Amino acid sequence: MFITDIRKEFYDVVTNQRVALLVAADIDAVCACKILQVLFHCDQVQYTLVPVAGWQDLSTAFLEHKEQFQYFVLLNCGANVDLLEMLQPDDDSVFFICDTHRPVDVVNVYNDSQIKLLIKQDDDLGVPSYDEIFRDDEEDGDSGNESDEGSEPSGKRRRFEEGAVERRIERQRAKREWEGRRREILFDYEQYEYHGTSAAMMLFELAWVLTKDTKDMLWWAVIGLTDQWVHDKITHMKYVTDVATMQRHVSRHNHRNEDEENSLSIDCMRISFEYDLRLTLYQHWSLYESICNSCYTSCHFKLWTLNGQKKLQEFLADMGLPLKQVRQKFHSMDMAIKGNLRDVIEESSNKYGMKDIRVQTFGVHFGFKNRFLASDMVHATAALLESTEKDDSASDNFLKALDSLSRGNLDRLHLGIDLAKKKLMAIQQTVASCICTNLIVSQGPFLYCYLMEGTPDVKLFSKPMALILLCKYLLKAFVHSTRNKRCKLLPLVMAAPKDVEKGSVIVVGIPPESETSDKKNFFGRAFEKAAESTSSRTLHDHFDTSSKIDLSSSNAALQTLRPSLRQTLGGGLLFISSAASVLEALSFCFVISCLNRFFVCCWRM
Amino acid sequence: DPLTLHSSAKAEGRSDLIASIKLRHCCLLRNQRCVTAYLYDRLLRIRALRWEYGSVLPANVRFHMCAEEVQWFSQYKKSLASFMRSLGGGEGLDITQDMKPPKSLYIEVRCLKDHGEFEIDDGTVILLKKNSQHFLPRWKCEQLIRQGVLEHVMS
Repeated sequence: MFITDIRKEFYDVVTNQRVALLVAADIDAVCACKILQVLFHCDQVQYTLVPVAGWQDLSTAFLEHKEQFQYFVLLNCGANVDLLEMLQPDDDSVFFICDTHRPVDVVNVYNDSQIKLLIKQDDDLGVPSYDEIFRDDEEDGDSGNESDEGSEPSGKRRRFEEGAVERRIERQRAKREWEGRRREILFDYEQYEYHGTSAAMMLFELAWVLTKDTKDMLWWAVIGLTDQWVHDKITHMKYVTDVATMQRHVSRHNHRNEDEENSLSIDCMRISFEYDLRLTLYQHWSLYESICNSCYTSCHFKLWTLNGQKKLQEFLADMGLPLKQVRQKFHSMDMAIKGNLRDVIEESSNKYGMKDIRVQTFGVHFGFKNRFLASDMVHATAALLESTEKDDSASDNFLKALDSLSRGNLDRLHLGIDLAKKKLMAIQQTVASCICTNLIVSQGPFLYCYLMEGTPDVKLFSKPMALILLCKYLLKAFVHSTRNKRCKLLPLVMAAPKDVEKGSVIVVGIPPESETSDKKNFFGRAFEKAAESTSSRTLHDHFDTSSKIDLSSSNAALQTLRPSLRQTLGGGLLFISSAASVLEALSFCFVISCLNRFFVCCWRM
Repeated sequence: DPLTLHSSAKAEGRSDLIASIKLRHCCLLRNQRCVTAYLYDRLLRIRALRWEYGSVLPANVRFHMCAEEVQWFSQYKKSLASFMRSLGGGEGLDITQDMKPPKSLYIEVRCLKDHGEFEIDDGTVILLKKNSQHFLPRWKCEQLIRQGVLEHVMS
């Protein structure tokens, strides 16, 4: 059930109890976790924090802790699945779920006792009403009773029975109709996966209601929101709306210091609203490198071609920026150039067709040297969270990422920034090589790309967030580079080797690239259906259903899939498995779900 | 005994041996000093063990102590305990806790290795698994922090 008063129904309930915090492995969850930890420290709520990377981890963690804890708080996991059925908890366990995954499972919505959702109800949910999905089955009992009443004389009984039989038939027909409608409603409700308001923002609001919000918490909430934007989980409209909300909080915090000028020590944290450039990590890199490695600029210039490189040189010349300045570290650039850099770049970008080179975001400033933009922090923390150093397990990485968000751990943050730079460069190189070697194949209703095992830096892409980022950049680059109009509207499915020894492969699917996309992803359902109808061993472990791991891959299987891919009618689901009929099955299940709007326009092309 | 050796050497007219007797004696004295210093250092370390591990020493530490050292340790324990009992107006005060001035009642700790279940004062049991973080009362955690099972996380 949805919580209306987050303070009374959540915070006051857990204040005197011990709580288990189960946190998913994405930046928004990490930020939400930090905010909640600070609140718990304030009020001395004893808790245990366990990072969970997928459904299996969640079940294991629950089993281990269910004896000791009654209250569980789940951050960014658990809303989109029937939690009670999956975990089989005792009747007194209570779950507080703050999750951005939508659609929220209907059982979670309508359970009054054990599941409490920390989700705003006006968050564009579209939950079907109770009567459409659940009904009390008393009618069966009635019809049973009536058929038992046969102790009367035959004449009367026959008339009575005829009436009873008619009523029973009528009831059964109504029931079948109702069930048919219910299936349709549930199918419509659950077919797309998308994301709601950031969990970090929800918990920041809790802190605000308790008047315990600090600038640190505000900054973490901003990072959580920016994570949703960087990883393309929410629409631009929603991002702008949420930025406006955060902007109000930022001004409120800044107003406190406005009366006394310069009275804040330089070490204090200042958050400011910035209308800054969309160049990733440009303040921690050189401007040139940042332009080459940011998706937006790289795709618009088509930097993987010679022509593109020339255009970039023209662009820089047009702005009057000498190459020597642009190639050195941003901090060492001439002050004169840095002064109105943003306006100069915006003007020139407009000439080259990049209308949105600037985006609304926030920046933080503390100490003399430390300035960071929210997107810098997101990239750094994401790189730490998914770092592929040999000895680190997923939970080690989680804790490192958690640490990097504290202001005292700047060296960790800088390490994260370095890892993020490497990751971005790897992504750009992979994108360039995929486009130049035509690795993206159009297979009818979708595009498909498989990263071979020997590809450089392919280890980085065995993690879901990195692979999804690569997938999005690749699709954007492809859309800019192809002339085929039909291909521009297709979704992309991408696969990369996950674990070379076990032979498993990770597959992700993203919706087509469009300006007005509502970021709804249909691959979750499609992947599930394909898994059911084929013999592939798959693991739907990620909380994000649009990525999954297939446990039985082989190069031979992939080769046989490609010809069968061409036979598919409607696709969108890719599972690499040893059965060549996978894709046929997939396409089949898509024919059923082809009524959705994406495919209508695809089919027309 | 070097003096008797010395006098007997003189008496027998072997005064050329006096120098070697003196030298040997100095070497013996030096060795004795070294051994005593070593044993004393061991005692100091054993004393520090009481502050690090508490009153029960782990088996692998006790393995390296000889019987006399174990006895010395238990006597030290007893005298420390009677001292602690005498503090605070007869009520006793555990001075082996809070070695650094505490800043808060509860601290955040991170588990560095799997330690299994751990019981805290109100009877609840916590599962200490690697890489889980907990927010626990400081006095329960100090022992484990010293042992290296938990790590204090400062934010």
